[in-house]
Amino acid sequence: MLTPLERVLFLALAAGCLAYAAVGFRQVFAAIRRGHGGFPRDRWPQRLARTAVQVLAHQTLWRTRRPVAVFHAFILFAFTDYFLVNVADLVEGFTGFSAAHRGGVWGIYNLVADVLSVLALVGMTYFLVRRFVFRPKSFRFNPQVMLLPGVEAGIRRDSLVVGGFILFHVGSRWLGQAFKLAAEGPDPWQPLASAVSTLFVGMPEQALEVGVHATWWVALGLILLFLPYFPRSKHIHLFFAPVNLALGLPQPPGRLEADGKGAARLEELPWRRILDAYACIMCNRCQDVCPAHQTGRSLSPAALEINKRYYLNRHLREFSRGAPSPPLWEYAISVDAVWACTTCSACVHVCPVGNAPMLDIVEIRKRLLEEGVVPDTNLQEVLVKLGKYGNSFGKPERQRGQWTKGLPFRVKDARRETVDVLWFVGDYASFDPRVQEVTRTVARLLHHAGVDFGILYEGERNSGNDARRVGEAGLFEVLAEHNIRLLDQATYRVILTTDPHSLNALRNEYQALGRRYPVVHYTEFLLQLLEEGRLKVVQPVGRRVTYHDPCYLARYNRVTEAPRGLLRRVGAELVEMPRNRENTFCCGAGGGRIWMREEPGERPSESRIREAATLGVDTFVVACPKDYTMYTDAVKTAGYEGRMVVCDVAELVAQAVGVRAEVLAQV
Amino acid sequence: MDVVVCCKLVPDLVEELEVNEAGTDLDWAAVRWVLNEFDDHALEEALLLKESTGARVTVLVPEADGAEEVLYTALAKGADRAIRLTGLPPGAGSRALAAAFSQVLPSVGYDVILTGVQAVDDVDGQVGGLLSGMLGLPYVGVVTGVEVDWQARRAVVRKEYAGGVVEELEVDLPAVLGVQSARKPPRYAPVSKVRQLMREGKAEALPAELPAVPRAAVRRVFRPQTDRRAQILQGPAEQAAAQLVAILEERGLLRR
Amino acid sequence: MAEVMVFAERQGDSLAEVTYELLAAGRQLSEALGCELSALLVGPGAGGLASGLGSADVVVCAEDPQLAHFTPDGTLQVLEAAVQERSPRLVLLPSTSQGLDLAAPLAARTGLPLVAYCRELWAEDGVVVARSQVYGGKLMVEVALPERGIACLLPGSVSAEAGRAPGTPRVEFLSVPAVSARARFRQRFEAEAGDVDITREDILVAVGRGIGDRENLSLVEELAEALGGAVCASRPLVDSGWLPKNRQVGKSGLVVKPKLYLAVGISGAPEHLEGMKDSELIVAVNTDARAPIFDVAHYGVVADLFDFLPALTEAVRQRKG
Repeated sequence: MLTPLERVLFLALAAGCLAYAAVGFRQVFAAIRRGHGGFPRDRWPQRLARTAVQVLAHQTLWRTRRPVAVFHAFILFAFTDYFLVNVADLVEGFTGFSAAHRGGVWGIYNLVADVLSVLALVGMTYFLVRRFVFRPKSFRFNPQVMLLPGVEAGIRRDSLVVGGFILFHVGSRWLGQAFKLAAEGPDPWQPLASAVSTLFVGMPEQALEVGVHATWWVALGLILLFLPYFPRSKHIHLFFAPVNLALGLPQPPGRLEADGKGAARLEELPWRRILDAYACIMCNRCQDVCPAHQTGRSLSPAALEINKRYYLNRHLREFSRGAPSPPLWEYAISVDAVWACTTCSACVHVCPVGNAPMLDIVEIRKRLLEEGVVPDTNLQEVLVKLGKYGNSFGKPERQRGQWTKGLPFRVKDARRETVDVLWFVGDYASFDPRVQEVTRTVARLLHHAGVDFGILYEGERNSGNDARRVGEAGLFEVLAEHNIRLLDQATYRVILTTDPHSLNALRNEYQALGRRYPVVHYTEFLLQLLEEGRLKVVQPVGRRVTYHDPCYLARYNRVTEAPRGLLRRVGAELVEMPRNRENTFCCGAGGGRIWMREEPGERPSESRIREAATLGVDTFVVACPKDYTMYTDAVKTAGYEGRMVVCDVAELVAQAVGVRAEVLAQV
Repeated sequence: MDVVVCCKLVPDLVEELEVNEAGTDLDWAAVRWVLNEFDDHALEEALLLKESTGARVTVLVPEADGAEEVLYTALAKGADRAIRLTGLPPGAGSRALAAAFSQVLPSVGYDVILTGVQAVDDVDGQVGGLLSGMLGLPYVGVVTGVEVDWQARRAVVRKEYAGGVVEELEVDLPAVLGVQSARKPPRYAPVSKVRQLMREGKAEALPAELPAVPRAAVRRVFRPQTDRRAQILQGPAEQAAAQLVAILEERGLLRR
Repeated sequence: MAEVMVFAERQGDSLAEVTYELLAAGRQLSEALGCELSALLVGPGAGGLASGLGSADVVVCAEDPQLAHFTPDGTLQVLEAAVQERSPRLVLLPSTSQGLDLAAPLAARTGLPLVAYCRELWAEDGVVVARSQVYGGKLMVEVALPERGIACLLPGSVSAEAGRAPGTPRVEFLSVPAVSARARFRQRFEAEAGDVDITREDILVAVGRGIGDRENLSLVEELAEALGGAVCASRPLVDSGWLPKNRQVGKSGLVVKPKLYLAVGISGAPEHLEGMKDSELIVAVNTDARAPIFDVAHYGVVADLFDFLPALTEAVRQRKG
């Protein structure tokens, strides 16, 4: 179909663009390779299969913004198809072979291309209108979020370029079909193009020929021209998102890997975190679920990835050649934002391309601590207390078991006696006066059910989960080593805990020290007791309640149904929070935030109470000691005292099985 | 440009302090030892001097349970030398400690000696003041900031008085300074760094002879009897508030 | 004959309040020991101030012009010379910023035993006995000085009344070589002059760490306003910059004796108590029933201040109409 001149020109353009693009892509790979870490060699067939399903079924996009996922599906399927289409068009240009007016396999091919082209145009129009006309709040950053200069304008420009590219590339190709069909007659397998072709039917043959050539050039030429643009565009996610998804994240997502010296600069991060910057589609979903950003703080996980990407865009040549970059807190994320993270892993969970901004933040924290920069004196005091006393309250170790004094029975000492269940109590459950009540209730329940359980008394230390997330890897090791020593000496079948943070540490993080403990959350255990009949409901609770999924239980460790099962069994009517299960919204205590000075402004916990208040319930059920303290405070400070009461699921169970008289505070 | 920080470990007040059977002393076996909080500030001030003038910082700590931690934390924070003083039993007292310091300091070398202005257990005198008298050096206590002009052999210090008054004094070196608080809060030493230094074993040891010092005879040690305990107003907030208002009105404190 | 010597602390051209407390204690001791009470007054114009030290038998003056401002080293030299010359049975110093610079160095230089942080001093059969507070006030220690010694008295431990007794002490001048002070005064920074002088307020609402966030100060301010009083604070809040230094109550702040001292969220560390324990009516609000503040308070409320403060503010407003 193409003239000899056209062929030459095309090949020249192709050569030039490909060469130029190759340089850019090579630099991108070199940049990513500057980061440390190995390349996984295992289970690639499984990875590829899983990713194929993930991408084609849009699994990662379906978590939020579902309408958007639909339109994106249009574009994704269109583009996948267009691999074939572009090749076919290329062949057509050079050999004249046309797939039009054919039936059978080619007919289906044409139909698919026809429909998908239109869907792609619809989809892309939707996205452009959404971004530039509707302007959703999600695309805006909080005022104190650090952004490289020109980032917002850059994103807009990039969006226009990509949008324009897609519209023109697809539109031009499709129009080309219309021109062809206007000359050759309609094709039943290309109904939409045929319909448009009727507009061109009256045109002179010459004009149609020009149209066919012009649209061919625009369609394929744009691809060529776009190739070198990829390294600087978020559109490169075409390649890197599936790669990122295939490489996967540690399980559970948010789990910290082996501890190094942290990172101050981009090149000191693991290479996976540099890859994140290239996979990022700048959709800001992570920012929308971030408890810090949603309460007006300076932290935006999206801004972090975007800043990294823009830095790389602007310095790709030097960076790929090994030039040092400035500390990340100078351009990518402010120190204030680094410490604002609660490590709830919502950003990791929601990201459609498998990014993990939270892991960057922990790396930076490690380095800041290493350099002695602890901007928060409260946090510093707590770290010192943890080191000295093994708990964040600064209480002497021997007071750990004091909470048992209020009980009418003795709790076994698992250090000396064999137990069936070793209860790892945790700091807040042991020392906070309000939570101690709940701890005692749980003890009574276990006793009532005849469970053979014991605690470690003074031997227990903070599990180290949050110390690690604050960046104090050394402290984590010290605490973990101590706990491991005691657990190794004890005889038990399973470890029980009411604290999701401790559960996470014992089950997942202690693997870094070679231990993987069988840990069960008390909600799972209590449910089991009810199912086995060792606890019996004598008085259903009969309240309308809502339940808050703890981050470390629901997102990190995927325990969501046991608490719900419990609530059902005790006769509570559960009204789900809008953001529930793995989409739960953090109370704001994690990542050491509960150890830091309070910031002015709304707290995530207050926001969550307000969310609950819209449900018409007066009981907010929790299953985590820190949640208990955060939400009882939030009810007061958000002004819901008297209208909302916070209670632990154990209190409801106790009431239902008749272990204690009415425990719940009256509203 | 040698800055020496003389530290002591004191009983941790977080614990219950037990008195021995005779009632004449603390039950030392039950004591958890921690670094005197003011010495931590002295160390911080010393490190700030190191950062601004390049001085060398040496830390002296008497041997006790927990001294290792203190020594290596000091090294992790940036001290150049950490020396453990052996030969002093717990409960030897501040005066004996000051005398022991004065024994070894000449061999350690010093231009400025910093120490915490006081400690919770120095009823027999503050280490800094005693040390200055023993070494014949000038002493300024309640110091909240130190600057040194090494050339002129002079320090300029800020001394705090009651009521928020601060005075600036010039002190000839060598001198002993009793630090109340450093210009910045004591810095943090990451645990991994402390552990790493412990593995390297850089701390040194110096023996000191337990000196004979004048002591006042301790007759007894006891828990204070609190003769007055507040009358607690009972009931929920509103009720207690009403009771309090009645009391205030009775005393004529609710003038309009 | 050996005497009891009191170091008279000056505040510029007048005598510090603690000096009278020292004199009162010294008077009692000197009578019990059967000896004289002397007061050492240092610096220019000492002779003129001597009349204010009526409860002493003799005022020893050292008027070296170099000691116009208190300078640790210089004053120590004079003090040491005085002690060497007069061999007092007991030297009494205040446990203040000045006293802390003098007592321990003096002890080291004279070889005399020293007892610090005394709350009480008395004599039994010629033996001076001191009762001092240690370990943050958790323990008391009783120490005997059978022979010569030095004692440091905590301000506010003894009533100053007896120390103010009028009298005409002898004035003697110490013959000392000129002082060569190795520490010299440069300049003085007054406390930030503030809007309010809390030492003159009748009603103070004091706030401590229990208040939590800075924003919550408004609860305290509202209550103070309703009561017609002023807000003051313990050291941690001033250190954090939430309130200016002129609002700080305690050992390193101001000493207050209002008609009503309402301590909110304050645990009652000894350093704070020193600044307010002589208040006429002390009411404490704290969630910890065992907080030391309840030992000095007349009335206490064991409650969450976030519940109690608004309730009290409301009740006060209603009662006032």
